[in-house]
Amino acid sequence: MDYLYSYLILSEIYVLLGLSTNLLVGVVGIFSVSQAAVFGVGAYIVGDFLLSGTLSFLPAVAVAAVACIALNVLITLPSLRVAGDYFVVTSFGIQLLATATFTNWTWGTGGANGMPGVPPPDLFGMQISSTRGILAVSTVAAALGCLAFWLILRAPFGRLLKAIREDELAVAAAGKGVLRAKVSAAALAGAFAGVAGGVYATYLSFIDPTSFDLDASILLLTMVVVGGARTLWGSVLGPFLLLALPQLLTLIAIPTTYAATMQQLVYGALLIAFALFRPQGLLGERL
Amino acid sequence: MLLLQLLANGIVTGSALGIVAVSFALIYSTTRVFHVAHAGVFTLGGYLAWSLVRAGVPDLLALAGAMAGCVVLGAAIQRFLYAPLERRGAAQLVVLIASLGTLAVIQNLLAAVYSPDILQFPSAWAGHVFGLGGLRLTGAQLATVGVDFAAFGWVMWFAHGTLLGKRIRAVAANPFLAEITRLEPRRVHVLVMAIASALVCLPGVLGPLDYGLQPYGGVTPLLTATIAMIAGGIGSLAGAFFLAIAIVVLQNLSLLVMPGEWSIGVTFAIFIVFMLFRPRGLFASG
Amino acid sequence: MTDYLRVEAVNHSFGGLQALNDCAFTIPAGRITCLVGPNGAGKTTIFNVITGFLRPDTGEVRFRGRVLTGLSPQTIVHAGIARSFQNLRLFPDLTALDNVMVALPGGFGEEPLGALFRPFHAARTDRQRRETARERLAHVGLADRAGERVRNMSYGEQKLLTIARLLATGAELLLLDEPASGLAAGALDQVMALLRRLQDDGKTLLVVEHNTRVVQQIADHVLFLHQGHLMAEGTPAAIIADPALAEIYFGGAL
Repeated sequence: MDYLYSYLILSEIYVLLGLSTNLLVGVVGIFSVSQAAVFGVGAYIVGDFLLSGTLSFLPAVAVAAVACIALNVLITLPSLRVAGDYFVVTSFGIQLLATATFTNWTWGTGGANGMPGVPPPDLFGMQISSTRGILAVSTVAAALGCLAFWLILRAPFGRLLKAIREDELAVAAAGKGVLRAKVSAAALAGAFAGVAGGVYATYLSFIDPTSFDLDASILLLTMVVVGGARTLWGSVLGPFLLLALPQLLTLIAIPTTYAATMQQLVYGALLIAFALFRPQGLLGERL
Repeated sequence: MLLLQLLANGIVTGSALGIVAVSFALIYSTTRVFHVAHAGVFTLGGYLAWSLVRAGVPDLLALAGAMAGCVVLGAAIQRFLYAPLERRGAAQLVVLIASLGTLAVIQNLLAAVYSPDILQFPSAWAGHVFGLGGLRLTGAQLATVGVDFAAFGWVMWFAHGTLLGKRIRAVAANPFLAEITRLEPRRVHVLVMAIASALVCLPGVLGPLDYGLQPYGGVTPLLTATIAMIAGGIGSLAGAFFLAIAIVVLQNLSLLVMPGEWSIGVTFAIFIVFMLFRPRGLFASG
Repeated sequence: MTDYLRVEAVNHSFGGLQALNDCAFTIPAGRITCLVGPNGAGKTTIFNVITGFLRPDTGEVRFRGRVLTGLSPQTIVHAGIARSFQNLRLFPDLTALDNVMVALPGGFGEEPLGALFRPFHAARTDRQRRETARERLAHVGLADRAGERVRNMSYGEQKLLTIARLLATGAELLLLDEPASGLAAGALDQVMALLRRLQDDGKTLLVVEHNTRVVQQIADHVLFLHQGHLMAEGTPAAIIADPALAEIYFGGAL
């Protein structure tokens, strides 16, 4: 039972991250391999505040969300100014730089040894230490995220973003601000990742750089590509499917030392296969 | 003296990354694919050579064998991945995703076959230290500078002095024109991928002779190389090569004032400066 | 008396190529002005300069006395000038209606806060705008194609849709880049009638056009551009009858 709870909680956290990545990659059409870095910043900020006792859970998550909004806008800005391919470099660079920071900035992150003992979330003065309680928290967070994503996509803002993905110049010629819309989308994506980071840190109570490295970013991208771009259901299905994968791999008895390698191998193969044969993913629209 | 040694080390590693940058730029300027999986080809070269050396093949033959392996992989990626995607009119984003997937597959296959730990080459000459004046350079380092500068010279001759090189540059400059003048861009693309893959195999083998092999070791060099390509100006092979050397030298000099873990920060800072002040690079054509 | 649109001594070069060379002309309000000239004369370049997609090396553009040079394309649309593209640049995966709606000025819920926190208000105003968009579609004769994705529409329909999108911006001066090119006779007549109707609605049109028959039938005034410079202007009949211009036009094109 605990095992099922853990799967559900993690999947819901990754739904938030999937929505975040889908907004950038699927809706706006920016290639990104740095969403795990933003996720990590959110997790470490909440971890630091709760460990030091300066803030309680909700305010800490709010601070993390604001920081991640700022960070994601900053990361995305180059993609708004320079040609698409240059942003690949920015994105890889940010991810590697973030990993270097998480690993080496011992004072703020605990370095490679990680940050142990993050207290469980608290709401209105009550500590939520049971797994079921945390499941409730992650469910509410994911549901709010889904609602926000759904509202965005069906609002005029969603139409504008879709138009921008198809032809930026034509949107400018129609008298609409391309830069503003893209920055707004990046900000939203940052907020989602920040909240996900907060829930993640308090649920696991231990975080270390391996959760927020390039491989994690590739996982997020795989979730969007497999689930499908620009649809809510795509971003929900992707995380639930891909987080079930490690369990499937344990069924075919791969030595545990190779588990992570095999997972990444499968993610890579999925990226290639979907790019070639099903660019719309399982439940999405064409990338 | 430390300064001079760091400078020398910078030029050695820089020439290796210079070849990564030049080969990447060759692909990017002809096929317009941001070939992230190039980092995987780079890494594969080292592992192939390692296996051959372990099997008792002489070092030079092992290098040649590794290059052959990289050529096959590079051409296959073009023929079976990028070309079909282009035919289907896939968005640039989708091609990038496929390339990233290929990189993940190569890296993790290598990790599965060879283990994720660092492997050292058994070749004794590579570790032998030579004193040059007050400088100390290993055999592997000397081989790196020699071979990579020679390779750069060859590329410049090939691109500007041969008919084939001129054809490739014609395709790069105008794929449409190339199509109607029977230059057959599809075949040229496969050829370019093959040549670039052979080239990137050189630093892929020679670098690890010095500091060992790692399955995930290709991403950071590729990042530095692409930054060099952009800073040098897209379309300028010499710009890519010398900017790579300049960036790595700066990285090495930064060791005087900050610990090595942050050198990625130095590289990235250089990129940001270029993006802000000279987004088209130093030697951009046109 | 200020001119409606005045282009003043505009120069622009791409690398070594002088695309606009001391280009200057004015356009009166309420008329259809055609911009003609051989390929490479700088017609599209001057469109790009007027609409803010290109910043000229020197010179300036004034609209109703206001200097436009240096403003963003977005601001210029709000000032009252909108343009279409030779290669249409529609949003192929959106419906015809959504293509038009993107161009309707400032609706509520086009930024995330409104979309997230006042969704019902956003939906309500969007329904009203949808009606306006339908009217624009009906105006160009595409009322029954509203729900169709652009990629499934014929080329002629797509050309009409670009005009509907242009109308949606609310701009009074419309710059059309070859609205009639590539059309069969029937569709051609439809577009010409539409352009006339736009003029009757009070719009001012600046049209790049190659087809002399179209120029003759719709233009009040013709500007002849050659090598980035205004070489001649006058009535359609006068310009077409000038043998020197015909030599440049047809000789230069071959």
